[in-house]
Amino acid sequence: MFKREWKRNAKSLVIWSAVLGGLILLTLSIFPQFAEQQKEVTKLLQSLPPAMIKAFGMDQLSIGDLTGYYGVRVYTMTTLLGSVYAATLAANIVAKEENDKTIEFLLAKPVTRSEILTKKWLVVTVNILILNAVSLLVSFIGFQMAKGYDVSLKAVYLLTMATVFLHFTFAAVAFLLSTMMRKTRNASSFALGLVFVTYFMSMMSSISDDLSFLKYVSPFKYVDAAPIINELQIDLLYMFLMIVIISVSIVSAYVIYQKKDIVV
Amino acid sequence: MNIVHVNELTKMYKNNRGIEQVTFSIEEGEIFGFIGPNGAGKSTTIRTLLNFIYPTSGSATIFGKDIVKDAKEIRKHVGYLPSEVHYYDDMKVIELLMYSASFYKVSDRRLKQLAERLDLDIHKKIEDLSFGNRKKVGIVQALLHEPKLLILDEPTGGLDPLMQHTFFELLLEEREKGVTIFFSSHILSEVQKLCDRVAIIKEGKLIQVETIEHLTKNQLKHVTVVLEEGQHATFDLEGVVKKEVSGNEVMMLYRGDMNELIAQLHNLRIKDVSISEPSLEDVFMHYYEK
Repeated sequence: MFKREWKRNAKSLVIWSAVLGGLILLTLSIFPQFAEQQKEVTKLLQSLPPAMIKAFGMDQLSIGDLTGYYGVRVYTMTTLLGSVYAATLAANIVAKEENDKTIEFLLAKPVTRSEILTKKWLVVTVNILILNAVSLLVSFIGFQMAKGYDVSLKAVYLLTMATVFLHFTFAAVAFLLSTMMRKTRNASSFALGLVFVTYFMSMMSSISDDLSFLKYVSPFKYVDAAPIINELQIDLLYMFLMIVIISVSIVSAYVIYQKKDIVV
Repeated sequence: MNIVHVNELTKMYKNNRGIEQVTFSIEEGEIFGFIGPNGAGKSTTIRTLLNFIYPTSGSATIFGKDIVKDAKEIRKHVGYLPSEVHYYDDMKVIELLMYSASFYKVSDRRLKQLAERLDLDIHKKIEDLSFGNRKKVGIVQALLHEPKLLILDEPTGGLDPLMQHTFFELLLEEREKGVTIFFSSHILSEVQKLCDRVAIIKEGKLIQVETIEHLTKNQLKHVTVVLEEGQHATFDLEGVVKKEVSGNEVMMLYRGDMNELIAQLHNLRIKDVSISEPSLEDVFMHYYEK
C-alpha cells in the first residue's frame, strides 16, 4: 500500500521539487549582482512603503548579506510554496479514495482503517522530508554560486528545520480535513484556504501592532525568519504550539476515520 | 455451521431509512440469495457486514467473528464484488490485480486462469475498460484469493448473457469447493436459477427467508385474461391472491389449483390469456398481503 501511494504521488513530488529547487537556484544566483548594487537596492527599499518592508521582515533582516537575503527571499518561497504542497498532498491522500470510490476496494482488503491512515501519513512524511532535502541541497548549490559571501549555516539549518515543522503543521491539519471530507475538492480548498489566510494574517500581524495577536493564530509567524536568524534559535513556545497542533490533528484524524461511516 | 449470522441488525441514517431489525443466517456452502428492489437495504446490509458503516444496533458475525471488532480478520477470507466497480483509473488491470493480491497470499496461476476464463485483457488500462469489463476485473479481484465467503452485490449488471453464464459456472465451481456465496440481486430469475435459499427484503425490513423450492412450490402465477365483449367472470376461486379488473381485462395473482382455473376459463369466451411467472413486484405483493 505504501508503494502504491508513493508511486501515485511521486510525479507531483518531482514537479514540486523541480519548481521549488529551480526558484531557489534562480533567486540565489542573482544574489552577487544584487549585493553589488546594494546601494541602489537600499535606496529602492527605502522608497517602498514601510508596511511592505515590515510584512516581509526586511526591517529586521539585512537583505544585503547572504543570510538575510536567504531569510527574506528564499525562505518565503520554501515556507509558502512548501506549505501549499504539503497541504494539498495531505488533503487529497485520504479523501481521494472516497472521492474516486476506490475506498470500497481498499476497505474490503484485510487492513484496518488505522493501517490505511498510517501508510498514507507515512507517504506524506517522506514526501515533505524529500522536498525539504531537495531545497536544502539546492540552497547549498546556490551558496556555491554566491562564493565570497558568507552565510550562517546554523541559521540555514534552523530555518530548514522550522520549514519542516511548518509543513508538517499544515499537512497534519489538511490530513485531518482529508479524513473528515468525502470530496477532495472540499478538502483541498479548505486546506489551501487555510495556508493563504494564515499567511496573510502573519503579514498583517507584522505590519500592525494592533493585529499582533494574530501571530498566535498563524503558523507562518511561528517560524518567522527574522528572530531565527538574529537569535539563532526557534522560539520554544512556537515549537511547542506546532507540535501540539500536529499531534491533535493526527490523533483526531485516526479517531474520526475509525468511526466514520464510509458510503460511496 | 453458520458462516454468516445476522442478529437484529439495524442501521439508521440521518435522513434515509437504512435497515431495521434484520435477522438471518447463511450456512456453510450454500448460495444465499438476497433479493429486493433498489433502495430496499441490500447494499446497506452488505456494507454493514463489511464494516464500511457501523450498525446502529444489533450485531452480526462472519465465521463466528464479530463484524466490527474482527473486521480485518474476517476480510482475509471474504471476496467482495461491489455493485458498481470503481478502481484506480491510472492503473492497468494487471497492476490492480497484483495490488489486490499483495494483501493476501495468491498464486499467479490463479490470476491467469480467472482472467482467461472471463476473457479479460489484463494489459489494458482500467480507464479504457467498458462497464462490463470493469465488472470482470471486479470478479477476478473478488475470487483471486480463494475466499471462503463471497459477497456479491448485484454482480451481473453489465455482463452479457454469455459472460453471465461463465460467471455462474465459476460460482457453482466455487460452491463445489465449499465456498459460501451471498448473492444480492433485484432480478428474481437469476436468484431462482442459482440460489438455494433466498431472503426477501423490502423497505429495510426482511420479509421472508425461504428455500427456492418453497418459493416455486407456492406456484404463484401471474394470470391475465382478456374476455370477449359481453363476457363477465368473477373468478371466485380459492387461491386468488390479488385481482384487478379493468374493462374486459382481468389481471390476477393465482396460487390455487391450475385445473380449477382452466375449468373456469373453459366456460368463457376469451380473446387472449397469459399465465406467466410472477414479477418480483408480484412476489412482494404476495408477501405483503399475507
